[in-house]
Amino acid sequence: MIPLAIQLAASLVAVLLLALICWKMGLGGDVRLRSEDQARALASEAHFGFEAVDVVLDRAGIGALLRDGTGRVMLLRRHGVHFVARMLDSHQGLRLDHNFLTLTTGERQFGAITLDLGSNAQAWAGSLRRLGA
Amino acid sequence: MLKPGPGACAGWAPDPVENFDPVPWAIPGFVALILLEMLWARRRARQAYEPRDTLTSLLLGLGSTVSGMLTGTLVLAAALWLYQFRPITIGWAWWAWGLCFVLDDLGYYWAHRLGHRVRWFWASHINHHSSQHYNLSTALRQTWTGFIALSFLFRIPLALAGFHPAMLATVAGFNLIYQFWIHTEAIRRMPRWFEAVMNTPSHHRVHHATNPRYLDRNYAGVFIVWDRIFGSFVAERDDEPVRYGIIKQLGSFNVLWSVFHEWIALCRDVWAAPWRAKLGYVWRVPGWTHDDSRETSDMIRARWLETQERGGG
Repeated sequence: MIPLAIQLAASLVAVLLLALICWKMGLGGDVRLRSEDQARALASEAHFGFEAVDVVLDRAGIGALLRDGTGRVMLLRRHGVHFVARMLDSHQGLRLDHNFLTLTTGERQFGAITLDLGSNAQAWAGSLRRLGA
Repeated sequence: MLKPGPGACAGWAPDPVENFDPVPWAIPGFVALILLEMLWARRRARQAYEPRDTLTSLLLGLGSTVSGMLTGTLVLAAALWLYQFRPITIGWAWWAWGLCFVLDDLGYYWAHRLGHRVRWFWASHINHHSSQHYNLSTALRQTWTGFIALSFLFRIPLALAGFHPAMLATVAGFNLIYQFWIHTEAIRRMPRWFEAVMNTPSHHRVHHATNPRYLDRNYAGVFIVWDRIFGSFVAERDDEPVRYGIIKQLGSFNVLWSVFHEWIALCRDVWAAPWRAKLGYVWRVPGWTHDDSRETSDMIRARWLETQERGGG
């Protein structure tokens, strides 16, 4: 039993060390959305067939909101060096504070995200309030 | 060569044997190769690794080892129970090892295929696919709930055919070791003859893809020939880079959420479904719903094919 516990503890140390080395090597990086076209492409990859007609990027490029021709709204947000997408179907958790729009998806693990949408924040908040109404 | 003798299976086996697990011996090699791949990533592709993703994957690997320790004896016991009904005894000849390895890999192919095509099994297997990265740490991103999912049932029938369970456990270990090195973007293609027969990084990248073209393909463990025989093979194309992960990307580095999220979703779906549809959420393909509110991989591919035929893709 004790050798087994030592083996597991050593494995845990090795795991932590590998992750630390990965971090110290500077792997990963600071990924941002650079253009609306990039956001459109990512949205289309996340949900095949989603063709955005309206896009707004967070001013720091950490996320975006996209609307397609049928009125569906997608949230894109950074996750590590990739982006993840969720379709928004409710205005629950929506909060507007000047240029900042805070959104939740109803998934606790997905968390909330605050996007700096600049002068577009008001208009998007208004349209998002109609979701799930 | 392993020989019968007193050992781990004593008390369970009609003929006590030494049970050899090659995986612990391979772990230093796994660590060394991960370090080597990280060095490659630092020079060539920094985004091939992400520290939090790597930590999640490695912790999932460690947890999987623990869960394997807790349930391995039960799996071995089940195999030994089957073994007593064998019509013939295959024994420990050199050719038996080779045959056992090939047949076990065939069993792996079907277990793996059903792991993607039946939601109950997928709930266990999904965490191997839930990283958006594809590197050697992803290989260690293994399930904690394989025993609950009963996926071992596809690997132990060879005991009934006369292969000793200790031999099955050993070849399954070598199968797992083989699959480690194919989880990399650092190797583009192997020689053509090798790509034709063996599972390779290129073939397995396709398996981890979310692109409609690649979805639910290349289930092989060691020999890609199973996919070629059973019609599930798709070659990686240079003009279509692979996007990794799952259809609904996890969006979290939480280890416990990675392990249990699909089980929780499955339970919620069963709870919310009308009685006539409840079992469908358990045994049907992932993405199936009784009201067509979600899509299966087949439905996504069909839509994609439609756009291709229309010239829109």
